[in-house]
Formats: sequence, structure tokens, C-alpha cells
Amino acid sequence: MTALARPWTRRPAAGAIEGQEAVLIGVIALLWTALGLSVDTFFTASNLQNILATVAPVTIVGVGMTAVIVTAGIDVSVGSTMAVVMVIVAQQLRDGGLAFAPAVGLALLVGGVLGLINGALVGYGRVHPIIITFGTLNLYRFVALQIFGGREVAGVPGTLGPLGGGAEGRTFGLPHSWLLAVALAALMWAYMRHVPTGRHLYAIGGDAEAARLAGVRVTRRLLTVYAVTGLLAGLAACCMIGGGGLVAQSAGTGMELQVIAAVVIGGTSIQGGRGTVLGTVLGALLVGTVTSAVTLLSWPNELTSLFIGVFILVAVGSDLLRERRRRSL
Amino acid sequence: MMPQSTSEPADTTTRDGAAGARPPSPLARLGRLLLHDRVALLVLLLAVLVAWMKVLDRGGYLLGPYDAAYMAAALESFVPLCILALAEMLVILSGRGGIDLSVGAMVSLTGMAFGFMVGEWGWPLWPSLVAALAFGTALGAVNGFLVAVLGFPSLIATLATGYAYSSLALVSHDNAPISTKPVQDLHDLTSMVRLPLGLPPVPRQFFTFLLPCAVLVWLLVNRTAFGRRLYAVGTNETAARYAALSVGGVRFRAFALAGLLSGVAAVVTVGQFASARPDAGTVGNGMALPAITIAVLGGVAITGGVGRVGGVIVAALLVVWLNAGILLYFEGSAGSRYQLLALGVLLIASTLLNAVAGRRRRRRTR
Repeated sequence: MTALARPWTRRPAAGAIEGQEAVLIGVIALLWTALGLSVDTFFTASNLQNILATVAPVTIVGVGMTAVIVTAGIDVSVGSTMAVVMVIVAQQLRDGGLAFAPAVGLALLVGGVLGLINGALVGYGRVHPIIITFGTLNLYRFVALQIFGGREVAGVPGTLGPLGGGAEGRTFGLPHSWLLAVALAALMWAYMRHVPTGRHLYAIGGDAEAARLAGVRVTRRLLTVYAVTGLLAGLAACCMIGGGGLVAQSAGTGMELQVIAAVVIGGTSIQGGRGTVLGTVLGALLVGTVTSAVTLLSWPNELTSLFIGVFILVAVGSDLLRERRRRSL
Repeated sequence: MMPQSTSEPADTTTRDGAAGARPPSPLARLGRLLLHDRVALLVLLLAVLVAWMKVLDRGGYLLGPYDAAYMAAALESFVPLCILALAEMLVILSGRGGIDLSVGAMVSLTGMAFGFMVGEWGWPLWPSLVAALAFGTALGAVNGFLVAVLGFPSLIATLATGYAYSSLALVSHDNAPISTKPVQDLHDLTSMVRLPLGLPPVPRQFFTFLLPCAVLVWLLVNRTAFGRRLYAVGTNETAARYAALSVGGVRFRAFALAGLLSGVAAVVTVGQFASARPDAGTVGNGMALPAITIAVLGGVAITGGVGRVGGVIVAALLVVWLNAGILLYFEGSAGSRYQLLALGVLLIASTLLNAVAGRRRRRRTR
């Protein structure tokens, strides 16, 4: 209902950027200024490139995750999906001598299939997505470990280097992976805002039953968003392999929490029906900045997750406050 | 405050087995019983599992004997898992998507606090035990405050506090475990006890920690006003509010109790490892995920208001004995891989089953 109507009935002054995004831009600007003043190595090209390159995989998966969460769903299996893709692609790169394009194609195929399984379980099983994807998290991790066969994949060639964080992964100093993430985010933003089927995602998140009665193909939409998230997880896995080297058995663990943190900090409501991809891009950037800041200030690395936790609480808390004010108007 | 009935915690499986109209054939009746009475289904699965492992054992497929002594020793991992699954049950029962992703982190952080008290500050056992449980309750109360008072979705609140607690646990002792002499002596809490009547030795914590927790939780949800309010709030929040129940208060207490139970699990874990490990509850996939799996497998509906203590306990037993059997069947690291597979398959199958059972229940009552 309101969730469907909201983007059309914005206040005239508000454009593409409002609410959470504006706050986030402010917070990031503040953090960067403070860091620039206190650490003289912060505003070096290599540090900024490093932040963007590490943020890129989180952003890429976050683009899909935003769509999933907008439908009032969630996908906690993305970390395991990435592990499966990484081990398959890494082995093919090393043993099969795969070229760049086939490798990316293989990654997209594997990721898409795993995402489609999630989508089928959620769409046809009509069960709560968090529980189902917890299940597939275990299943996919098993598949990945089975393919690893008890040892890591070492000596992966640098075929996917153009997507990695190294020197060949940059043009004009900007990491390709991050540019790709921004392009994907822009596509998803346009889709969710201007294409009817994209707008249906908000309707499903607002009230799936009402959306179905209004003629939205709920099952088909759910299948699509989970499959797209799987595809994007496959793409993010390519960025993580990047320059090659070693793919450890722990690949991708904890990724789902980082991605969900980025999406939620970006202002997407976990109850569905509200949120934008732009917020997710900024949320991922904030998480990346915090991680880099903790390292640069030579604080213990373990503090990073404390700050991420606090940022989640502050971001969601301020969103709750705004929501309450909106209702009382 | 809460009137407690004097009746003993009798067999929980017979509560609704006899209800409902008489179905036509015995087979259909069995099918319906298995679909609607989760405890009956789980007991059947448990019997099948043990029988099958016995067959494999006879046939010489196993690396070691799957006998009573091995099954009793496997109860060591059963105790913390079952306590945490009961904690998840309380939170999930309270409804509105209630879930607690932070139990593993609470186990880590409370375990570190307990380790500091016993191992670094030299407190005696009993005061530190009480203080650790209070500490765990406080951590749970933070979750409860965020969810019940401030209105955070519980998934987000506990995701964030889980991050924060696990980070604090790691930072508190520079990422190193506390294993001074007094902490190592805590291992006595979890030694094996010999039983009469030729029964195999059983871990002590089964009697000193798990049984009291299980009985108290059973009494709490089945025999107190709080328990009824918990089911009421989880089943229909609006109706509960119109019935003048303090919805926020009930939910807050559910989260605080989950913290208390995590504290108990933390103490057990410290005793078991003979050291307070900063990543005790968060290493690998952590403890929260298995705990949620067991709760759902035990018939706790993720939508709230449906779930029983007996189901959760039998589900925990099933998972633990299945895991123990898998370790005997596969050599090396393959065993822990197949445990992941088993956990995932069980979780998906039980969720789909819950959905089917719930849909049939709604159709019948309509």
C-alpha cells in the first residue's frame, strides 16, 4: 500500500537522495575529514584504492541483497555461495587454464544456480527465508568443502586480475571492481524505481498477499531476486579471486553479515517495502572506511566488528525515529 | 508473582496426542500423528538413527563402537547446544520474527567474564558463578531493551549486539584464552560421573546444569502465568495487547532469559575446555546457528507462539547423536563436512514440514 505508493508521492523537494542517504554522506564526510586530519597516510591514493577495492565485493552482493530485503526476505547463504564459486573457478583457472570471459561466465552460472535454489525454496516452499537460507548456508558450505577436498587451492593464476585489487585492476586509479559495483547499483536503482516489475518488489515487501491479489507474480519475482543475488555473489567471488594466489577453505565466511550490515546501515528496512540501492553503496563504503580506519589507527582489528555493530544500531535507530515521526504526522 | 502448580514435570509428549477426531485408518492416523506431533516424529527418527548406527556398527563400517558409552560421552556437546536451543525457543516463541543471533557471542563474552573472575581476580567459585549468570542476563537484557522497548527488529538488534559482544570478548584479553590454574580446575565441573546399575558414565554437567535448566524452562512455559503470556504474545500480539498484557515486558523477559541461559552455557563451556576462550561461541559458524536449527527442528514455529520444551530436547539429542555417528563413519576432516550437510538438510526438511503442518492446522481450524 504505502510502500508501493511512496516513491511516486515524495515531497517535491526530495530527489534521489533523502533521509538515510543524506545522513550517511554526512557521516562518511565527517569520518574522512577526521581521519584525514589524524592520519597523514589516509588520503593517499593507495589507501583510498585499497578501501574501494575491499568494499567492491560487499557492494556487488549488497545490490542483490537490497532487492531481497526489500521483498521482506533475507539471504544469509551468500558467503557459502561465494565459497562454492571461488573453489570451482579457482580450480578451473589453475587446472583447466580457463580464460577471463569463460571464468566469469562459469562463476555467474554457478552462483545463479545456487541462488535459484534459494529462490525456489523460498518462493514455492513459502517458508521464512532466514531459516531456509541458514539451511542452504550449511549445504553450500558442505559442497564447497567437498570440492576443496581437505586442502586449499594454491597457485591460482592471475587471469581474473582485471577484477582484483592489484595494479592491473585499475583504470585512472579507480578499481574496476568498484566501478562495476557502482554501475550495477545504478542499474538496480533504475530497475527498482522505474520498471513495473522492479516496483513490484516494494509491493511484495509491503504485503505479499495484497500484492498477489493485485496481480503481482510473487513467486516469479522472488525467484528472480534470489537468483540475481546468487549471480552477483558469483561476480563478487571473481573480484575476491582477483590476482590469484591462494583460495583458503574459509573463503567467504562472515560475508553475509558484512553485506547485511551494509544494506541495513544504508537505510533498507529489514521488514521490507522500503530501501534503496544507493544507501547500500554508501553503507558498504562506511563499513569499509571503519575497517580501514581501525587498521590505520593501529587499534586491535577485533574492534572493527564492535564499531560495525554500533553503526548498525545507530543507523536503524535513527531510521526508527524518523519512521515514528512520519507516522505521527 | 507467578502461581506455580505443584505437579511434577510429567511426560511432555502426551499433551495433545489424544486430541482431535478419530481418523479412518490406523496408517492415516499414524501419518497424522507424525505430522502434527513433532515429538512423536523425532522419537521415531531417533529410534531409526540408533538402530541404523547399530547395524552399521555390527557390519564393521564404523571407526569405533557406537555403543551406550559412546552415546553417553557425546552428551558433552549436547549440554551447551540444548541449553542454547531452549534459549532460542523462548525468544522465537515471543513472536514478531523473534530470533537471537547473539547467543554465541554472549557465550564467548560471558565465558571471558567468568574466566576473569575465577582466573584473574581470584574470586571463589560460587560468587563468580552467580555473577557470570547475572552478566549473561544483562547482555540478554540489552537485546530485550533494543527489541521490546525501542522497537528494533530482533534480527538486526541481535546481529549488531552479536558483532559488539564477540568483538568485546576478543579484545578483553588480547585475543588470548584465559587458562590459569583456577580456570583449569573448573574442569571438575564437567567430569564424568559413574552411574549405578551398569549405566555408562555420563558428563556431570548433564545433571548439574542441563536438567535444572530444562525443568525450570518447562515449568516456566507450562506452569506459570508468564508462560501463558509468552504464548499469547507470540500467537497474536494485537489480541494480547487488547487483553491488557504487557507485550513489551513479556518480550523483554524472553530475551533476558535467553541471556541467562547463554550464561549457563558459557560456564559449562569454560569448564569443558578448562579455559575461557574468547571465541568459544563464535568460532566457525558459531553456536547460534545450530541452536536455531535445533529449535526449528524441535517444532518451534519461526512465526512465534508454537513450540514445546520436549520437542527441542529430543531434537537436540537427535542432532548430537547424529553428529556423533557421522564422526564414526567418516575418516578425518570429512566427518565435520558431513555434519554441515546433515545440519542443512535437517533444517530445510523440518522447516518445510513445519510449513505443511501449519498450513493444515490453519485449514482445519478455519
